[in-house]
Amino acid sequence: MKNFTRHSFLCALAAGSAAVMLALTGCNQSSNSGGDTAAGTNSSSTGGSSGKQLTVGFAQVGAESAWRTAETDSIKAEAAKRNVNLKFSDAQGKQENQIRAVRGFIAQGVDAIILAPVVETGWEPVLQEAKRAKIPVVLVDRGIKTSDESLFATLIASDFVAEGRMAAEWLAKKTDGKANIIELQGTPGSAPAIDRKKGFEEGIKAHPNMKIIASQSGDFRRSGGKEVTEALLKGAGASANAVYAHNDDMALGAIQALEEAGKKPGTDVFVISIDGVKAAFEAMVAGKLNCTVECNPLLGPLAFDAVERAVKGETLPKRTVVEDKVYDQSTAKDVIATRQY
Amino acid sequence: MTDSLGKVRSWFSGGSLFWPAVGLGLLFIFNAIFASGFLNIEVRDGHLYGAMIDIVHQGAKVMLLAIGMTLVIGSGGVDLSVGSIMAIAGAVAAAMVQANIGLPAALLAALGIACVAGLCNGLLVSVAGIQPIIATLILMVAGRGVAMLITNGQILTFENPGFVFLGNGHFLGLPFTLTVVLVTLALTLLLTRKTAIGLFLESLGDNERAARYSGVPTRLIKTLVYVFSGLCAGIAGLIAASNIKAADSSRVGEMLELDAIFAVVVGGTALTGGRFTLLGSILGALLIQTLTTTMYNLGVPPSVAPVPKAIVILAVCLMQSSKFREHLLALAGRKATA
Amino acid sequence: MRIFRSQHLPLIGTVGVLLTLYITASVMYPGFFSLRVLANLFGDNAILGIAAVGMTFVILSGGIDLSVGSVLAFTTILIASLLEKGVSPLLAIPTALAIGSLFGAFMGFLIQRYELPPFLITLGGMFLARGMAFVVREASLGITSPFYASIQDLGIPLTDKARLPATAIIYLIVFAAGVLLTHHTRFGRNVFAVGGNEASARLMGLPVARTKVLIYTLSGFCAALAGVVSTFYMGSGNPAIGMGFELDVIAAVVIGGTLLSGGVGSQLGTLTGALIFGVIQTALVFDGRLNSWWLRIAVGLLLLVFILFQRTLSRTSLKPT
Repeated sequence: MKNFTRHSFLCALAAGSAAVMLALTGCNQSSNSGGDTAAGTNSSSTGGSSGKQLTVGFAQVGAESAWRTAETDSIKAEAAKRNVNLKFSDAQGKQENQIRAVRGFIAQGVDAIILAPVVETGWEPVLQEAKRAKIPVVLVDRGIKTSDESLFATLIASDFVAEGRMAAEWLAKKTDGKANIIELQGTPGSAPAIDRKKGFEEGIKAHPNMKIIASQSGDFRRSGGKEVTEALLKGAGASANAVYAHNDDMALGAIQALEEAGKKPGTDVFVISIDGVKAAFEAMVAGKLNCTVECNPLLGPLAFDAVERAVKGETLPKRTVVEDKVYDQSTAKDVIATRQY
Repeated sequence: MTDSLGKVRSWFSGGSLFWPAVGLGLLFIFNAIFASGFLNIEVRDGHLYGAMIDIVHQGAKVMLLAIGMTLVIGSGGVDLSVGSIMAIAGAVAAAMVQANIGLPAALLAALGIACVAGLCNGLLVSVAGIQPIIATLILMVAGRGVAMLITNGQILTFENPGFVFLGNGHFLGLPFTLTVVLVTLALTLLLTRKTAIGLFLESLGDNERAARYSGVPTRLIKTLVYVFSGLCAGIAGLIAASNIKAADSSRVGEMLELDAIFAVVVGGTALTGGRFTLLGSILGALLIQTLTTTMYNLGVPPSVAPVPKAIVILAVCLMQSSKFREHLLALAGRKATA
Repeated sequence: MRIFRSQHLPLIGTVGVLLTLYITASVMYPGFFSLRVLANLFGDNAILGIAAVGMTFVILSGGIDLSVGSVLAFTTILIASLLEKGVSPLLAIPTALAIGSLFGAFMGFLIQRYELPPFLITLGGMFLARGMAFVVREASLGITSPFYASIQDLGIPLTDKARLPATAIIYLIVFAAGVLLTHHTRFGRNVFAVGGNEASARLMGLPVARTKVLIYTLSGFCAALAGVVSTFYMGSGNPAIGMGFELDVIAAVVIGGTLLSGGVGSQLGTLTGALIFGVIQTALVFDGRLNSWWLRIAVGLLLLVFILFQRTLSRTSLKPT
């Protein structure tokens, strides 16, 4: 008897879950009606005449920060504006998932692929496949390490090395070339972390009294920045008068740690970071963050410009650098209203 | 002579709090020697400040998770979804506070939803008969998605002073998080040791069929432990969000379920269920947090930090294994006297 | 006749679910029903599938192995580092496989000799292997080697567009070996016996101790082999990959009909489970509309539907509780 009630409960639950699944697909279906059938008939043909709708696959890293979501929204908005059928895939931060997504796009026969590679290595085999299928690949936001540059059409990204250097130069000016610096690094192995470290070190080379006294990874997360700063302030970083974070989220965490340690971020300890998200501007207006180097995530327009040209068969310059600007407390108040992310 | 030998043997093999306490003590000594200023406690801004205070403060989340996890493991199950429940609770509270809904309502809603999530787990395990690893795995995967749905993929920040106090404030000179942990621990101890619930739980974990035949309401208790674990995870999630004044749905609580299980087992509760010890779990959680802090102090990159955790797990498991202890004693040349 | 049917019902059910999913996706997404996608299914899921072959043995015996993701990562970065130092792939790959197997053997020894819980020992193994992977190298490392280039170009062409890649071929070979080992050797029968009732198996005179150690050795070997295939698939080593991989593998094995309590299951079921995973993931890519969060919710719900479906099936067929 007990088995019977369990049996019917299980059946009901299974049916219910299946129904929810179908409903979900149904809901999503209605919000994107005409696109699929158009893509289907085009799946065997490549290249195109003007006026035909393009199908583009976008393999994104994940949704781990406001910056990332802004990048995704920018690309989606631009696709909608240009009437492109966008296939979006979110890899939840895992390279295996991104590779799988790109191969899925190739199998679907998309016209072009936009890829934001989570790490620098491991892309040759799948990009070879794309090349064999004659599907151009546009890299955004991060680069890859490869000996064969023909594997991608172009890379549209900020210059992370320059970002690090700009941060160093701002700090050098502010402290007259004398500083003990705590460095909060990004995710180990990611292009922005590697390059922003390199750029900063280049920037302080000319100033012998600027020293990085402690450096650890906060993994680009707010909580990481806070915990690492807390620990470092009690140990190797106790004499620091500046904190350099590879991204704003870590800097905001560091600001909290500094306040709890009884120091005044912004005045006792200078805090500089990279990305330029709105929260950073708010912190600058509040006097807690000193400087942020912008890293623009709104890559949609540039990405689709490149896609359209690549699909037409044009050769593109391998590197399109996105310009970054430095913002500090003096300019923050004026500009904050225009910040889109 | 037999008497003292017997005493040493029982000391060596028993008292479930013995080994975690030893481990913790050793770590403290290590830190006192190698990390400057570890034992320092000073008074700043009217509250105590120092490395040891930090350990207690940051360990609060794992301690709370461990309290809930102890009861689940005692019932013979496991709960892998606590990290995701933390994310959901933080997301709900942050979203409501941002929408200017009052703090008490936001906190109640967050904890309520956490309990509902736990209830889902409990029903899957007790009524549908699905194995706990798989049942809680489902919520572990889907739950994070729900949390991100609530925050729409953003990191929701807030400044609500009451909410911020939860994770950052001080009470009687000690971090408020410690107060939260102590209150939860006290209530749980009361519930399990002063009422029959603890007895029912241990009998359920020990031998479910026998417990059922004895009249213990096994299905109800099995469901309730998962609800309780969800509640503890909810509290931990609120603290996590309050700590950074933001709800970070994609990363909060990552890997913490494993740390919680680790804490419970190190503390002396067996994974197979049955007898459980809450105090042991608290000690276990402190042990893990001290390990993590020790690694930070030594400058070991956090990616390598799992290695000492592995060694500790191995050491604890070996010490808890009766076969290993016999092996060691035999090696040490002491023959077992009947 | 009746016994035959009821015993195989869960497996038939799982295969039925796979076919249903595949057909539904083919109807919903143009281009899904193609040889290319089918070949990709095996190629993309080779890593999961190979690790799942090893995990099947472990779960059949009533144990569990949480270290496979970390051993996978460790293997990839070890091979990449050795290759960078100029070691020949023909030496690096067997070395990595040997280390993976030894690691598994060590865990198996601890589990068997001192009666330690597999969950905890393999959890420790997971932490250890992950930490050691980062000690080998903090970040990912590319592989440039003519040997690798030739492997990656290897493949059986199926049509002018589709091709069965080397990874898929390796998977099918490993699967065949797994089936042989599990269902047609004495070792396989011992595994089932240990999982069914360890005490009885011991009393029957079966070599329980040796079997248990071999099981974990095999799992370590398969995890390392999955790592080797991963280096072919990505052309690089990365100490950060495979986080949460072990849970995917366990899910694939369980969906395939192997009971976590041990004693019941099959390699074919595991293959089906791995393919179900692959079909879901590919379908979601073809759909191309789901955000990160809907994806997780969808995967969670699908898992739930399967497990419940399986439970209803096994309720009607298996031994009474």
